[in-house]
Amino acid sequence: MSGQGVVERASAELSKRINGLSLRVGKQHRNLRKAVYITSRPVTWNELLIDEEFLNNFFWYFTPLERSNLARVCTRWKDLLYRNPNFWAGLALCINYKQFRQSTTYEKAKLYASFIKRGFYSLGMIGAKDEDVTDLINYFPLGSKHVHSLILRWCGISDRGLENLIDHLQVLYELEIFCCNDLSEGGLWACLSPKIVSLKLADCINISDEAVGAVAQLLPSLCEFSLQAYHLTDAALGYFTSKQRDCLNILKLHSCWEITNDGIRNVVESLPNLTILSLSGCTKISDDAIEIISESLKKLRSLDLSWCPRITDLALEVIACDMTALQQLSLDRCVNITDIGVGYLSTMPTLKVLFLRWCSQLRDNGVHHLSTMQSLQVLSLAGCPLLTMGGLCSLTQMKNLRELELTNCPATTSELYQYLHEQLPQCLIIE
Amino acid sequence: MPKIRLQSCDNDIFEVDYDVAKCSTTIKTMVDDLGLDDNDDEIVPLPNVNSAILRKVIQWATQHKDDPPPPEDEDNREKRTDDISSWDSDFLKVDQGTLFELILAANYLDIKGLLDVTCKTVANMIKGKTPEEIRKTFNIKNDFTTEEEEQIRRENEWCEDK
Repeated sequence: MSGQGVVERASAELSKRINGLSLRVGKQHRNLRKAVYITSRPVTWNELLIDEEFLNNFFWYFTPLERSNLARVCTRWKDLLYRNPNFWAGLALCINYKQFRQSTTYEKAKLYASFIKRGFYSLGMIGAKDEDVTDLINYFPLGSKHVHSLILRWCGISDRGLENLIDHLQVLYELEIFCCNDLSEGGLWACLSPKIVSLKLADCINISDEAVGAVAQLLPSLCEFSLQAYHLTDAALGYFTSKQRDCLNILKLHSCWEITNDGIRNVVESLPNLTILSLSGCTKISDDAIEIISESLKKLRSLDLSWCPRITDLALEVIACDMTALQQLSLDRCVNITDIGVGYLSTMPTLKVLFLRWCSQLRDNGVHHLSTMQSLQVLSLAGCPLLTMGGLCSLTQMKNLRELELTNCPATTSELYQYLHEQLPQCLIIE
Repeated sequence: MPKIRLQSCDNDIFEVDYDVAKCSTTIKTMVDDLGLDDNDDEIVPLPNVNSAILRKVIQWATQHKDDPPPPEDEDNREKRTDDISSWDSDFLKVDQGTLFELILAANYLDIKGLLDVTCKTVANMIKGKTPEEIRKTFNIKNDFTTEEEEQIRRENEWCEDK
């Protein structure tokens, strides 16, 4: 049914009714005015579903990703959604080049145009090759002014291709490279531009120590650096220079298996302003590293030590005593920590978020300690095998808790969840 | 307490407290502008709301008449859909046709709270559905050409949360 037809028919129907009413009540003028107040809005369901004002409100009940599905329903919805960049905030257009490569020139230009029209600024290239980079430069000239963030995943792009691509993207601030095995450290040296504020490198077999060298020399504005490289050495962590000292606040070293406490010493000496540090999966680091961190990183707000099995209660004592600004701590899979260490943590007045997933030695006593913490808002005890009903019930004292995760805790029952829901009505409980 | 009489499209007349009726911004504006409240025999015609729906709307407004006014600055911001009160959720356990008529009435009478909660309910209903299922639910015609549909599919299937 066409939108125009509906409106015409509805309006004819309306005038009939309005006139009818007015004649019956006999106060034509006044009733017409009354009716006018009411009839400027859609009167049928089909009209409502094309009404701009209604839809522009209705679309806000969805996430940006859900909206991308709504845009496929009909032309009207697509047009209204595409018109407003606010509807697309936070999304990246991640193009699968294996499929996209086959498209016609027209289709390619159209896809890139939709990127601009919707106000996107993050572009993902999945499975791209050098020829696709050349294509992008040809068919997406506006990319040079609109792509702020570039994600490369499983790309067979060469060092030269990367250099050309980044040359083209003149306003690139964020770069993320995942599993691109044709890239070498030489490619990073050639392409990194000083505008970059965020760099994430993971799972690229040819990228290791020299990446840190290139970053240290070329990126004076870097705020966030995330690196996953199994064979990164302690020496590389000494490459950071005074250029990074002030800006670089977020450092994530994931699964850097060779890093030892010496490497940590190198990092904290050159980067004393870190506020977020993740050493998740850096399995060689031990309690001494935590001591070094606590002495040097006075501004640290978030520390991730998940999958660091050498961490013991001693480290937790240091954290509790010396990391006075710490708000978030992750100790997932720290299998050597016990109730004693958790007891230290429970004295921290600033801690808001604590993850203790799969801490296999944690018992009820530890949970009793935690339950006295009034600052804690998010807690995970997922997979802790020794906790019992008694320990978990004491969590109801934590009235400020907003999120509690108890997935895979063997002691949980539906009665327990019901009791927790009743006692902590403000808290999201993840079962 | 001043009363006001509302007339449904099928000519039933409902007498309601003005406090309840003014949940509808449309009615409130009209009464404020035309000063209907001093005139007993005035009837407000609602030519697009039938009596079954009007009865539901009045039931909702009676329950919510003392609610604080909703904040004005909520435009252009993502809205939650998982915070429907248990009263509203029971109230909206109705067939799909009634739900759609309620949303239409709430929009038409400009009752922000009712529109909000009916939108949440309908949004929850279509979250996770395919475009084709959404069209079917809402009786919307697919007006894309085959080429357009393929184009739009790509433009949107390739979206990811950053």
